[in-house]
Amino acid sequence: MKPNFKREVSNWGNFPVVEKEIRSEDSLAKIQEFVRTNHEIIARGNGRCYGDASLAENIFSTKRLNKFISFDRLNGIIECESGVLLSDVLEVIIPQGYFLFVTPGTKFITVGGAIASDVHGKNHHMEGCFSEYVLEFSLLNENSEVLICSPTQNSEKFWATIGGMGLSGIILSAKFKLKNIETSYIRQESIKAENLDEIFQLFDESETWTYNVAWIDCLQKGENLGRSILMRGEHAFKHQLPKNLQNNPLNMEKKISPTVPFYFPGFVLNNLAVKLFNFFYFKKQTKKVVKNIVHYETFFYPLDIVNHWNRIYGKKGFIQYQMVLPKSNGKEGMKKILETIAESGNGSFLAVLKLFGKHNEAAYNSFPFEGYTLALDFKINSKLKKLVESLDQIVEQYGGRIYLTKDSMSKPSLVNYLKNVNNSKFVSLQSKRIHNG
Amino acid sequence: MIVLGSNSEVAQAFVEKLLKSGEKHSKIFLFTSNRETTEKFAKHLEVKYVQQSEIIDLDLLISIDYSSLEHINSNLLFCATGFLGMGTEEGLYDNRNTQNIIDVNYAKLVPVLNYFADKMERKRTGTMIVLSSVAGDRGRQSNFIYGSAKAGLTAYLSGLRNYLFDKKVHVLTIKPGFMATKMTEGFPLNPKLTATPKQAADGIYQAYKNKRNTAYVLPIWGFIMLIIRNIPEFIFKKLKL
Ligand SMILES: Cc1cc2nc3c(=O)[nH]c(=O)nc-3n(C[C@H](O)[C@H](O)[C@H](O)COP(=O)(O)OP(=O)(O)OC[C@H]3O[C@@H](n4cnc5c(N)ncnc54)[C@H](O)[C@@H]3O)c2cc1C
Repeated sequence: MKPNFKREVSNWGNFPVVEKEIRSEDSLAKIQEFVRTNHEIIARGNGRCYGDASLAENIFSTKRLNKFISFDRLNGIIECESGVLLSDVLEVIIPQGYFLFVTPGTKFITVGGAIASDVHGKNHHMEGCFSEYVLEFSLLNENSEVLICSPTQNSEKFWATIGGMGLSGIILSAKFKLKNIETSYIRQESIKAENLDEIFQLFDESETWTYNVAWIDCLQKGENLGRSILMRGEHAFKHQLPKNLQNNPLNMEKKISPTVPFYFPGFVLNNLAVKLFNFFYFKKQTKKVVKNIVHYETFFYPLDIVNHWNRIYGKKGFIQYQMVLPKSNGKEGMKKILETIAESGNGSFLAVLKLFGKHNEAAYNSFPFEGYTLALDFKINSKLKKLVESLDQIVEQYGGRIYLTKDSMSKPSLVNYLKNVNNSKFVSLQSKRIHNG
Repeated sequence: MIVLGSNSEVAQAFVEKLLKSGEKHSKIFLFTSNRETTEKFAKHLEVKYVQQSEIIDLDLLISIDYSSLEHINSNLLFCATGFLGMGTEEGLYDNRNTQNIIDVNYAKLVPVLNYFADKMERKRTGTMIVLSSVAGDRGRQSNFIYGSAKAGLTAYLSGLRNYLFDKKVHVLTIKPGFMATKMTEGFPLNPKLTATPKQAADGIYQAYKNKRNTAYVLPIWGFIMLIIRNIPEFIFKKLKL
């Protein structure tokens, strides 16, 4: 029996699906040999990007690089291999009174994936991207050498790799800073907004809150365009918790997650379902403002509660369309985008609006810049390509761009912003598509 | 806790399962023939569970210095050492291959197990969990050298369990079927019959807690092997298994 490393593989959107070679090793010598003897390699973490970013002719999976290396409990600095999931990091650090400075909307991503996409959270306007807290990482480059990279050592490689989508090499391990917390709870306020103007005003008023995010019902038209709920939050202090939670303020609350067992047939998630979902989501909250204390899992990772929720979009899969528009004209642009979606009748189950603050000039490959960002899920169907084309046009017109880690079909001019990452060793299906397209 | 074959993904998953479920061990003794990767695991345990461990070099193909093991005492031993070697087609008449398979899976392993069994017997307490294989249930044409060594190991464990029963030491024989590990990466394994290291660790942990004598990692293998063991020899010899 000869081993065959070819496998059917796709990322979170189940689109595209390709048959490619996947390898995983934990010994440095073997990883080096793999890089030496193959071309068109890309690293893959947990495949939580949506499209083709972590797919290539030869995929190196970091699933076996899953070990912690050190934890400075006094200063809140942790070091681990690149395949460690953020969920594992949280399990180690929360009981010690620490949290991640920056986390995306799912905890099931790897540390390598967080650096390569330079992920952002609900606090970009206050605390920036993941890279702000990375002290150093080790990178296996195109010559199979291991480089220690930091803002002071091999700094060119350091910044090229931040947000570099794996095109500068394989991140092997990383060391990063953590944030102090007193409790594992969040003091949350949810505020209903009837339309787009109101939600933008709420964002402006909430600029001093650490975490801000809004859910938009994007099937609404006319006066109700932009109907949404803003959720803002702060890490709760111990004295702010109700008495019954104060005994165990750093509670991890282990819940058993339901799993979506199979791909839903295509007809399930039609417009009606989206309408109903949004209707209930928005009607559930009857009061204008609701204040409460919620567990961090509920606040940061509401979608993680259902494993494999991506399967509800059916076998054909879905895309996530995430763009950023500049602060100056962003409101107007968002309005156009929401109008276009509402007209197309191609509803998005999930639409999330966030505010980006000033970006770090040094992290030139990172997606965020100051402005508004909207993320939308669309099921793959015959009308989608056309919708994406019209949305791309608006994004271009308003001087915005598309998040590479979500992209699988946008216009190359909106996704070709990476610099200093061209070599023939590390090439993804995405980078090929962008450069040939 | 004593771990033989510390680089095995199943052994590592089992250790994590144990620590996660709150079992405390003053020290974990990690036996290995590859210090570099085991050191990574030791650090991992230190960070994740604040668990101390000690690494002990043990290469079953080289001679063993028992005097260096004197200080090691524990009432739990987990053994995942194993060596698949080359299968029948490539390796049957390669004596070195044959010898290595027999040594790692049986001949050189049994004295080490005996050494720790003796310590547990004297203390009249302990559990030994040892990974054998479904391959030891019946010799098949594709890998019967490996299978015969594992059959020997299974028989040894069964006798040892019997012998140690009234000395309050428990022996648990685990028979994994296919597992998705480094060893089998790239092989076309049926996912329904293949356990991930984590699944295997969960299953083994259950068997350990329930004081089982023998357990298959996935219950379906018990059924498959029941059939395979009962095929009459005159038919079995004609099958291509
Ligand atoms: C439900 C959900 C919510 C999300 N919310 C957010 C959000 O709020 N903010 C946000 O920024 N993102 C968000 N994302 C996107 C996600 O955070 C990123 O796609 C992340 O990079 C995925 O990490 P991964 O480990 O799964 O990597 P993969 O998806 O496997 O890979 C992503 C990219 O990282 C590269 N990469 C991975 N590991 C390495 C490595 N070791 N060395 C070099 N390159 C590597 C890959 O080549 C690829 O280009 C979300 C995704 C999901 C599914």
